[in-house]
Amino acid sequence: MSDRTSEKAWNHRSADTAERMASAARFIGPGKVVKADDTVALLEAVIRAGDRVNIEGNNQKQADFLAESLNKVDKSKIHDLHMVQSAVPLPVHLDLFENGIAKKLDFAFGGPQAGRVAQFIREGKLQLGAIHTYLELFGRYFLDLTPKVSLICAYKADRQGNLYTGFNTEDTPTIVEATKFRQGIVIAQVNEIVDTLPRVDIPADWIDAVIESPKPFFLEPLFTRDPALVTDSQILLGMLCLKGIYGEYGVQRINHGIGFLTSAIELLLPTYGEELGLKGKTCSHMILNPHPTMIPAIESGWVDTIHCFGGELGMEEYVRARPDVFFTGPDGSLRSNRAFAQTAGHYALDMFIGGTLQIDKFGNSSTATASRVAGFGGAPNMGCDAKGRRHSTDSWLKCGQEQPTLNRVLGDMPRGKRLVVQGVETFGEGRAPVFVDKLDAWELAENAGLDLPPVMIYGDDLTHVVTEEGIAYLNRCADIEARMAAIRAVAGYTEIGLAAKPEETRALRDAGIVKTPEDLGVDRDRARRDLLAAKSVRDLVTWSGGLYNPPARFRNW
Amino acid sequence: MPKWNDLQGRSFLESNARDRAVGLVDEGTFTELAGPFDRFYSPHLETLGEAVEFDDGIVTGVGRVGVTPVFVISQEGKFIGGSVGEVGGAKMVNAIRLAIEFHDTLAAAHPDLTDAEKPIVVISFETGGVRLHESNAGLLAHAEVMDQLQKARGKVPVIAVIGSKVGCFGGMGFVAAATDCIVMSEFGRLGLTGPEVIEQEMGKEEFDSGDRALVFRTTGGKHKYIVGDCNYLVADTLGAFHDQIAELATKSLADFEAMRRIGSPEKVAQQLRGVALAAEMQPKDARDVWAHAGNADPVALTDMPLPDFLAQVKRLSV
Amino acid sequence: MSLNTLTFSVKGDAGAALKAPVHHGVVGSGDMEVLMEPKAQDGAVSVSIVTPVAGFDDLWKRVLQTFVSQSGLSDAHLDINDNNATPAVVLLRLRQAMTEAQAN
Repeated sequence: MSDRTSEKAWNHRSADTAERMASAARFIGPGKVVKADDTVALLEAVIRAGDRVNIEGNNQKQADFLAESLNKVDKSKIHDLHMVQSAVPLPVHLDLFENGIAKKLDFAFGGPQAGRVAQFIREGKLQLGAIHTYLELFGRYFLDLTPKVSLICAYKADRQGNLYTGFNTEDTPTIVEATKFRQGIVIAQVNEIVDTLPRVDIPADWIDAVIESPKPFFLEPLFTRDPALVTDSQILLGMLCLKGIYGEYGVQRINHGIGFLTSAIELLLPTYGEELGLKGKTCSHMILNPHPTMIPAIESGWVDTIHCFGGELGMEEYVRARPDVFFTGPDGSLRSNRAFAQTAGHYALDMFIGGTLQIDKFGNSSTATASRVAGFGGAPNMGCDAKGRRHSTDSWLKCGQEQPTLNRVLGDMPRGKRLVVQGVETFGEGRAPVFVDKLDAWELAENAGLDLPPVMIYGDDLTHVVTEEGIAYLNRCADIEARMAAIRAVAGYTEIGLAAKPEETRALRDAGIVKTPEDLGVDRDRARRDLLAAKSVRDLVTWSGGLYNPPARFRNW
Repeated sequence: MPKWNDLQGRSFLESNARDRAVGLVDEGTFTELAGPFDRFYSPHLETLGEAVEFDDGIVTGVGRVGVTPVFVISQEGKFIGGSVGEVGGAKMVNAIRLAIEFHDTLAAAHPDLTDAEKPIVVISFETGGVRLHESNAGLLAHAEVMDQLQKARGKVPVIAVIGSKVGCFGGMGFVAAATDCIVMSEFGRLGLTGPEVIEQEMGKEEFDSGDRALVFRTTGGKHKYIVGDCNYLVADTLGAFHDQIAELATKSLADFEAMRRIGSPEKVAQQLRGVALAAEMQPKDARDVWAHAGNADPVALTDMPLPDFLAQVKRLSV
Repeated sequence: MSLNTLTFSVKGDAGAALKAPVHHGVVGSGDMEVLMEPKAQDGAVSVSIVTPVAGFDDLWKRVLQTFVSQSGLSDAHLDINDNNATPAVVLLRLRQAMTEAQAN
């Protein structure tokens, strides 16, 4: 055996980084500042062909200037990059593949570029690693997909290179930690460089270069739902959910998805929810972005705690004024953190509720369409039963104990189950049926050469389906046959629903596995917009006492 | 039909054309004329294979506010954006014509009528103007409505109310401008060329129609109130609009003449002074005009609750 | 390219006759309006639907069948102007119209 310690070098990574940084040194001034004009040259100095590179961005803030700059590098030198990043929502993210700079992609969410992702896979321009959830991808940053170079974004830097990510901290700490502590390189674009930061979110010695971007980073107000667009049908579904699920199980710890159904529910809490006597019994602890439609419920004293994945434009001052509810820093502004919110979402939630484009006859659901590789972001981590969970809450335990077959698997061992709820109208836009025999995800898997059809929520995790026909309590079903019958019973006039047998549906209703609005005592006639605590964005501003400052596109006064 | 008392508290913005028509006049007094059961729908849309509506998107009828007979026209924005075609246009024309004929008959029989006892016309606008599917027929309808407004002049006051989602644009913007009095809520918008068309013609840099704050700052009720394009700014309830109409119903023809924006040499001169001011000021934003009118903190006006706004806003005088 | 008219009749239970004609709804996108009028025809409910969308005849029949059997409506004629309303919206509007008719 040779003398390994003397022969083998253990610092290849740091030596490589040092060499790259040395060649970039001429662009980096005091405080690690790089002139915007030198950005492309800097990237050419620190990135090598075949590198694993992260561009920060998810469904909200985007390191857009750095993404654009990466597109301008000399592709004879820099090519075949392996992009590992939360999302690819900007055209420039896909331009990298079109331009031959990047080759492989591991991501979680495609957003508006989902169609191009599918097309590029087919054309061989993009080699897909995998579609992940956020947490899954973050996990791999610390295992087998660690970025060599990360291009991140922040609101402000100070003269030393400390960063303020504030309201939209989101993914930044996770990316920086994975990259920097594996001897990688972190480059930040900031909106401005100032003398003093409100607070330090990322310390300067984790950052290698700071660039003042020519224009502020793009930020999408993705979680703002205009109450004016909530329909009577969504209100009916919301009433069913509140009475038949929130109230029935007394669910305290909840994530609300992005859709209009959950907006409707949020706006019904101070009215219908109050009437049902649910205040204090449900919705006390929430994992969600600062949805403006939560304002009336917060102001009415429903909510104890909200932790956020990211920020939401216009909610800055409102959140600052409600530190009892939100997680805020010493400076008073929100600190969001996607990794921690997703961790809470995976392990500590009692219920996930959201919508989808399709549910198959077994209860598998997906938002994937045949020609778009969209991914699901964080939904699958929240829309599943976390098997590692070991603490108990009443609603979790009740949902688990209602499973008639639990003892066939676990004997006499008690166990809970997360409530995973899909609320949908039986037909979507253009009269497209939501309940289908086979998900379009199968076709997508074939078109894009994926190993698995992209499923957002698997049927065995789904516990409740809510439609205008009523609620199917799938957790109360003994087997797949019963689950399919319960799904049929609430699938309305879709082909799946038309296969329902009246006597079977009757038996399910008698057994409490299916409940119609009438069974639940929900008056359909009351499902009108008058029931909403706020009917417009203007109403939300009024509820907030003028603290909510909606983005321009939501202002109609 | 919802109860009248409930309608009074309801948002004007949220309401449909029929509920607005019912709620703008006194309880139980509205009678619809050429209503859905008469099935006057558009033959043009039918030919084109486009969805039709039994009232063609315009509710017409007559009711009463206090002792004042009120002829009501109410446009429905949810039906093809409130666009005005041949049938809907004819309904508008004939509602105004009926008001004039009623006035003439009444005045001949009762020469000593008080101002309050004479009929008025109320038009609730929610439209982008001509229904393009009906091109010439729609344009002609606009001209005929204008003709009726001229005939009503000095006899039957015509009040425009604008607080709907679509606002009042296109050819109907001209019609609204030619009425005697305009009542808006802060959610109402009034203009000639719609925001999307301006963007299309002038470019996004000049006018971004997706920037709704900009659109409302330029065409919305508060701006129109400051610059004098609307006479009254009221809360967004049917009751508030109803009460404003009740107050106006007792006014004299001279009072209405004074509220007009166009239609006399004096009014034209005033309009031209406004144009001259704009040329001189070269405002970059509506807020520049608000500041010029004497509002020290124009930014604060936008989100200010209506009572505070009305109490402290300075209106432009030219 | 003209509008489609779908006409059919549903057997009504001799239950709730309509007290008065009623109009309900606005033909917005994804919405519809209905005129419901009493019409003595041995309990039957006749329906005439005008819609720009073809190919949903069976769906309309099933939805109307459900409405008639759930509401108990009989001896009536329904005129519907549709603009791509989903079955959920159709049932909602018909129920609301019925409630209005019986309240007046």
